Amino acid sequence: MRVPTTRILWLAALLAALAFPFLTDNLYFLSIVITAFITAIAVYGLNVLVGETGQLSLAHAGFFGIGAYTAGILAVRFDLSFWLALPTAVAVTAFLGFLVGMVALRTRGDYFAIFTLGVGVVITGILDLWEGVTGGTDGLIGVPPPTRIGPLTFESLEAQYYLYLFCLALTILAVRNLSRSLVGRTLLAIRNDEHLAEAIGINVGRTKRLSFTISTSLAGFAGALYAPFLGYLGPSVSGLVMMFNMLLYLMIGGAASLAGPLVGTLLLMAATQGLLAFEEYQLLILGPLLVLSIIFAPTGIAGLVNRIGQRLSDRKTKPGPSAAPSSPSPKNRARPSHAPPHAEAGN
Amino acid sequence: MISSHRLLALGLIVVTVGACSDEASEGTDADGTEVVNIGFSGPLSGGAAFYGQNVVNGLTMAIDELNQAGDIEVNEQAVRFELVTLDDRYLPNESATNVRRLLQQSRTPVIFVPHVGGILAVQPMSVRPPEFLLSAYSSDPRILEAANPLTLMIPPRYDGYFEPFVGATMEAYGNRLGVLPTNTSYGRAWAEGVTEEWRRQGGEVLGDHSVDYNTTTDFAGPVTQTLADAPDVILVGGPSQPTALIVHALRQQGYEGGFIVMDQAKFEEMEQIIPRTELEGSVGVYPLEAYTSVGTVGFVERFHEKFGRERLPTSEVALNYFGMHIVAQAMELAGTVADPQAIRGQLTEAARQLSEDRKPYEYDTVTKEGHLTGDVVTAFIQNGEYTAIPIPRRSGRGAPVE
Amino acid sequence: MTLFFQQLVNGIALGSIYGLVALGLTLVYGVLKIPNFAHGALYMVGAYITFVAAVVYGMGYIGAIAVAVIVLAGIGVALERVVFNPLRHAPRLHSMIAALGVLLFLEAGAQLAWGAEFRRLPSPFSGTVVLFGLPVATQRLLVIVAAVAVMIGLSLFLKRTTTGAAIEAMAQDRAGALLVGIDTRKIAMLTFAISAALAAFAAALVAPLNLISPTMGEAVNLKAFVIIILGGMGSIPGAVVGGYLLALVEVLGGTYISSSFSQLIAFAVLVVVLAFRPTGLFTRGV
Repeated sequence: MRVPTTRILWLAALLAALAFPFLTDNLYFLSIVITAFITAIAVYGLNVLVGETGQLSLAHAGFFGIGAYTAGILAVRFDLSFWLALPTAVAVTAFLGFLVGMVALRTRGDYFAIFTLGVGVVITGILDLWEGVTGGTDGLIGVPPPTRIGPLTFESLEAQYYLYLFCLALTILAVRNLSRSLVGRTLLAIRNDEHLAEAIGINVGRTKRLSFTISTSLAGFAGALYAPFLGYLGPSVSGLVMMFNMLLYLMIGGAASLAGPLVGTLLLMAATQGLLAFEEYQLLILGPLLVLSIIFAPTGIAGLVNRIGQRLSDRKTKPGPSAAPSSPSPKNRARPSHAPPHAEAGN
Repeated sequence: MISSHRLLALGLIVVTVGACSDEASEGTDADGTEVVNIGFSGPLSGGAAFYGQNVVNGLTMAIDELNQAGDIEVNEQAVRFELVTLDDRYLPNESATNVRRLLQQSRTPVIFVPHVGGILAVQPMSVRPPEFLLSAYSSDPRILEAANPLTLMIPPRYDGYFEPFVGATMEAYGNRLGVLPTNTSYGRAWAEGVTEEWRRQGGEVLGDHSVDYNTTTDFAGPVTQTLADAPDVILVGGPSQPTALIVHALRQQGYEGGFIVMDQAKFEEMEQIIPRTELEGSVGVYPLEAYTSVGTVGFVERFHEKFGRERLPTSEVALNYFGMHIVAQAMELAGTVADPQAIRGQLTEAARQLSEDRKPYEYDTVTKEGHLTGDVVTAFIQNGEYTAIPIPRRSGRGAPVE
Repeated sequence: MTLFFQQLVNGIALGSIYGLVALGLTLVYGVLKIPNFAHGALYMVGAYITFVAAVVYGMGYIGAIAVAVIVLAGIGVALERVVFNPLRHAPRLHSMIAALGVLLFLEAGAQLAWGAEFRRLPSPFSGTVVLFGLPVATQRLLVIVAAVAVMIGLSLFLKRTTTGAAIEAMAQDRAGALLVGIDTRKIAMLTFAISAALAAFAAALVAPLNLISPTMGEAVNLKAFVIIILGGMGSIPGAVVGGYLLALVEVLGGTYISSSFSQLIAFAVLVVVLAFRPTGLFTRGV
């Protein structure tokens, strides 16, 4: 009974997204939503790691930067078409992600988090200091918008909007299929109990490396889309601010849920734009807001909405004991809402 | 996945509401005065916030004067200016988003951006509809190289300083140059220009010890390294305050030579931290308060009245104040507040016509490339006094053209 | 050779600061398992309190340091109560996000309260002394002596007093500590108080050598994390040794390799070390 509701809502979301450019001719709104779409793709990548395996990678923005710079440099310095630069950038990021994963995944828990933090800082440093290739602090100027493919051109922001929407839809589908696949279940098993997973014959190391590579490729994919959209790249695209933003979008939206990353990114981006008007007060408001939400809604908006929804449906179907929260739906059983993702310590 | 459908429902509502709340603030006052929004995107939080506030102060001061005088009439319509400021934390990608927002929400015909990354990032946007005039506050010559027809570059370009700075210090102190500027690309570009000129004039360039002025906890290490080569002159520069600390650390370790100070650092701000005696033998930007022209004296006085005695009227305040007045004058001359092309076309005439009391500097020309120029004077600190070193106008390209 | 010794002194002074900051961070991590990303912000607030006490209220430098240490200890306790205590059963990731929220709030708050401009803290120890033929700033010497004294004091406190033993016990096993009758609530508050006080002390010492600004804690904060990872998270001697090692590598690496990269060295070292020893150099022997 639930599956159709979910389908209908996703479909409605898609329709709303398709109609959005017709509802407003405000290019600023459009560009904010595009930025949110692109960032959401990267946040989905982060979710593969944080939500599904409970490992926190702080190098995610770094890989986003690698994807962006690879695509940007190929387009600016080698005049490569966007449609060739995009897959190349994803491949490069995936390969580097695989290499880093080989080493990084030898560490666990907080060590993994700080190790990847170091990787992220080094990546940003390289982007900043390797002036001949990356343009240094000034960045890479004049990345062209996506080149035409067949009859489709992407000069206008509206056209770009649909391109990025398509990419986001593709990502969501891929992530959904991944989490439903055998790999997804294996990841879940590792998140819940690594030793148990090992005991029942799962190759934990290989599975973790696989998920790390998938996660970084999504970051690279998002980065490669970001470069032609913005037209300009600076080392800050891979910086700590970007990293923490992505993490916030994920945690506020709700990790380990399919809609969480998208809703978290959209909502928080809208909120930050709204708070911009408060100028120097914006972080004074955002900071405590974060603390409060992590204390009172630790499972993010996903968990919060779910809890409220459950309470409402409880009230509706009060007499029937079958609808009580003590018998959660099969999906809830698979991923209990009160067990948020773990960034577990190694010991 | 637990809650996808409910979450999506919420998301849908939010997006719909967001899409419908399309408001833009502009129009006319009750008394028929037309309101023109002036945009600003710069750092208002983070490490460069103070710098951003200085720029905003300059703009606010000019706008308040214009509104108070109430004498700006464009096409026989009284005009009132309003400054719309957005924080971009010095990040170029945020500048791009902010500019889109300013154009859509506030319909700003003019936008001030005070950092080179942001300027280069938004330059291509200025010529796409809706067009806008980009008031660029950065001394980086690449702003002009972009040949953007809707840019007004306000400060003097820094490459004009190399030759006179090198000449003066090499003659006074000797031909060994130590290099210790901030490690940003601006700092590196400066260092490259100065070292090239230093060699050209027959000097010897020692090791490059540039270091990030913003993130270094203790400057003692790089200072010791630089002095190990026994330099006669040292290139320093970054934000004023850390630059002053580096000078202080160098003096403390016994250095007695001269300094070439990059234009980002201002002597008057450095003197709040260290005594002038430690700055002996430095060349750099001439402090605004040391000018004696009528326009400057009046500006400094009005600045102190508005912002208090303890705040310093630095060149970034004065130049952005100046830039805003020129833009307003150009709007009047062009007879439009909305057409950036027409406003840009009148900038040269506006710079020439602007009344003396609104000119903190004696710049009187906007070149074909969109650069505000005039007689630039720099300072050499000798025997505790500021000695003026004039910078020659760039031949050919710097001459008044339009 | 003079250059080498001069840089050695510079490195030891820098290492003393790094060590003090990392000590506070590793203490909170070891006892409460919280990766406190707001530690650098506490350091920054400590510097401002010292500045306000010394310059605005005209107290002496030493008195101002005492005020800052006390105020920050109070802030530390408040943070533990309001933010981290409610999260003690939540996954560590949540404490980290909350710490980020605190960091944003404190930086914005400092800018609002004291402005974005750089502030300078005068110190009575502004001269230079000659040590074995090397000119050394007195303040730098003070940093080294004071930091070493505090480090020794802290380890004596942890090893020799009952309260210290209780902290150590809680670091090893929170549930066990509760079982043997240790008031874990009080120990948690005390840990945060000591941690924040250490940050304030470090900031007050370094402030006269540098400038005070709302973002001054950012770089130090990241490096402190590198140090406690290198030293083995939660290990007190690890943090001290890690602090000195990192500072020496930075200063000497800057001297003999390239100063442009000196700010990256810390992270490169981290990546290389963890690649070979995934649990740090000095793993805590529990």
